[in-house]
Amino acid sequence: MTSKTDSGSNSSPFPETAIEAHGLGFSWHPGQETLSFPDFTLNRGEHLFLHGPSGSGKSTLLSLLAGMLRPGNGTIRVLGTDLYQLGAGARDQFRADHMGVIFQQFNLVPYLTTLANVTLPCHLSALRRDNAELTVADEAAGLLRALAIPEDHWQRKVTKLSIGQQQRIAAARALIGAPGLILADEPTSALDTDNRDRFLELLLSLAHRHKTSVLFVSHDRSLASHFHHQLELRGSRG
Amino acid sequence: MKTHLALSLALASLWHRRKVLALVCLTLTLSVSLLLGIQYLRTEVKQSFTTTISGTDLIVGARSGQLNLLLYTVFHIGDATNNIRWSTYQALKNDSRLDWLIPISLGDSYRGYRVVATDENFLKHFRYGRDLPLALAEGIWFTGVFDVVLGAGVARDLGHQTGEKLVLSHGGGRTSFSNHEDTPFTVTGVLEPTGTPVDQAVYIGLAGMEAMHVGWESGVAIPGRTMTLEKAEGRDFVPEAITAAFVGIDRKILTFRLQREINQFAGEPLSAILPGVALSELWRLMGQFERALLGITGFVVITSLIGLIAVLLTLQAQRAHEIAVLRATGASPALIASLYIIECVSLALLACLLALMIGAAGISLASPWLLTSYGLQITLRPLTAPEWGLLASVPVAAALVSLIPALSTWRQSKTLGFGEAADQ
Repeated sequence: MTSKTDSGSNSSPFPETAIEAHGLGFSWHPGQETLSFPDFTLNRGEHLFLHGPSGSGKSTLLSLLAGMLRPGNGTIRVLGTDLYQLGAGARDQFRADHMGVIFQQFNLVPYLTTLANVTLPCHLSALRRDNAELTVADEAAGLLRALAIPEDHWQRKVTKLSIGQQQRIAAARALIGAPGLILADEPTSALDTDNRDRFLELLLSLAHRHKTSVLFVSHDRSLASHFHHQLELRGSRG
Repeated sequence: MKTHLALSLALASLWHRRKVLALVCLTLTLSVSLLLGIQYLRTEVKQSFTTTISGTDLIVGARSGQLNLLLYTVFHIGDATNNIRWSTYQALKNDSRLDWLIPISLGDSYRGYRVVATDENFLKHFRYGRDLPLALAEGIWFTGVFDVVLGAGVARDLGHQTGEKLVLSHGGGRTSFSNHEDTPFTVTGVLEPTGTPVDQAVYIGLAGMEAMHVGWESGVAIPGRTMTLEKAEGRDFVPEAITAAFVGIDRKILTFRLQREINQFAGEPLSAILPGVALSELWRLMGQFERALLGITGFVVITSLIGLIAVLLTLQAQRAHEIAVLRATGASPALIASLYIIECVSLALLACLLALMIGAAGISLASPWLLTSYGLQITLRPLTAPEWGLLASVPVAAALVSLIPALSTWRQSKTLGFGEAADQ
């Protein structure tokens, strides 16, 4: 495992800030108008609710924070590491080591079992594997139980499961190995109200236990009250 | 660890798509079986061909080219340009450096099969394949003037058994109007199959050949002057000439000198050839065809690999979400691209394995049948280095063609944003 590249960046085991963004701007093509983002800081263990109209750059901001798109200007520090000082390969590894991800849908690798989907980050990151309480299998089992996935579903292919179950499995995958940050892109938009509230409650309480910050993107402003902070993107261009 | 992950992901993905991929794998298996089978048979047939005659150091006949001499003495194709005088044959026989001679006298036929007049040295010294001697499947080698021994192919095709009486025909050809009807021959034995032209001939003594031609000096039978079984009793038939002789030399070092001496024989113009050299030359002539066949089979394999890639590219569209998940979880573009290569190479390896099993099963099932029906001796043997090479080229080619989807995925996933599925 090549986690050496970033172990230095995380020298203080618990940096105080999860995210620091300064003067971020992004344009798809050089010379085109730039999408600029407000500066913000998220302390470790705190949760941020991100909202804004379509086209305001929510997905772009997530890509920047995930280290998958290079910003035109500005800096992003995630858990104390300046993301774009790292090379592309090191950024991929940093993401594997320190970030959990949940999408709106199609969260899971269709040909893997529930358990294999959950433990996927531990195969990509030695750090996440070492962070697991006891063994990887034990932690996966604990998370799946906490997220109310019936045990007889664990060895099954994920394609047969309901959307609600699939989203909860994705949450277990994001949480395993206690990453510093979870990026969640409208994970509840495909769920009904009951499922949505239960999902959010479980996600946030488990994240709290692991001292994991959650950056949660949603259209649904009614969810904002669950979070310590909220940030609105207006899609300011210039 | 990441290699392990890539392998387990690729294998799980293959298993997930097994229904579609099974058909592609079947196509590939069949084409690899064909490729391997043709290469295997090519080696076997070449081996069998170049050892049609073995142990014989020189073939001596009247002055002619080496291919012509080889064709009419060993393969029974074409005719002799001239004969060797009996006195010349005796002179060779008395040369102590030549350890044995098998006289061969040709010219007649039996229902399309050549009649070969020879003596007991043929049974004793003739070798084929890897120094295999001839053996009788039933009966005994001829002893009487009007005895005949059948090649395995003749006995099988015509259903003859020992004790039957045959009438040989004058000259070659399947249907002859001039038959040696006064001198029928009795089958005393049948040879074991050899998979060589030996199976496709009947064998009589030199005396028998001489006896049945008494009264045929003008080319047709003159009534009253031909031999009968009774008249032949007690008579000694010495031929005036033979067609050729197979020569065995124990001291191999003398072979070239003896060849030169025979070629310069003062009594009459003779040719002595090295059968191995002549056989290789003949094989080179026919080799073009089998190389072309192998080339065509190579294209069949390439076609099925292209089919495999077409299927993988089609499946790529379905994999956009899975790639987005893997990327966001921290998998590098290289890891994702490697999935395609691993999947493709695994399929090729599976196809090779199946092809080996099909080939082995096919050969062991078909080999008894090939031997009895065609006299072809194809046995199961370990693959040769070129065959392994050919087999190994299949996964290598698969790895190369898998670069097409791998590189396109690699390029796409490098610029993929968070949670974005690559568009196809």
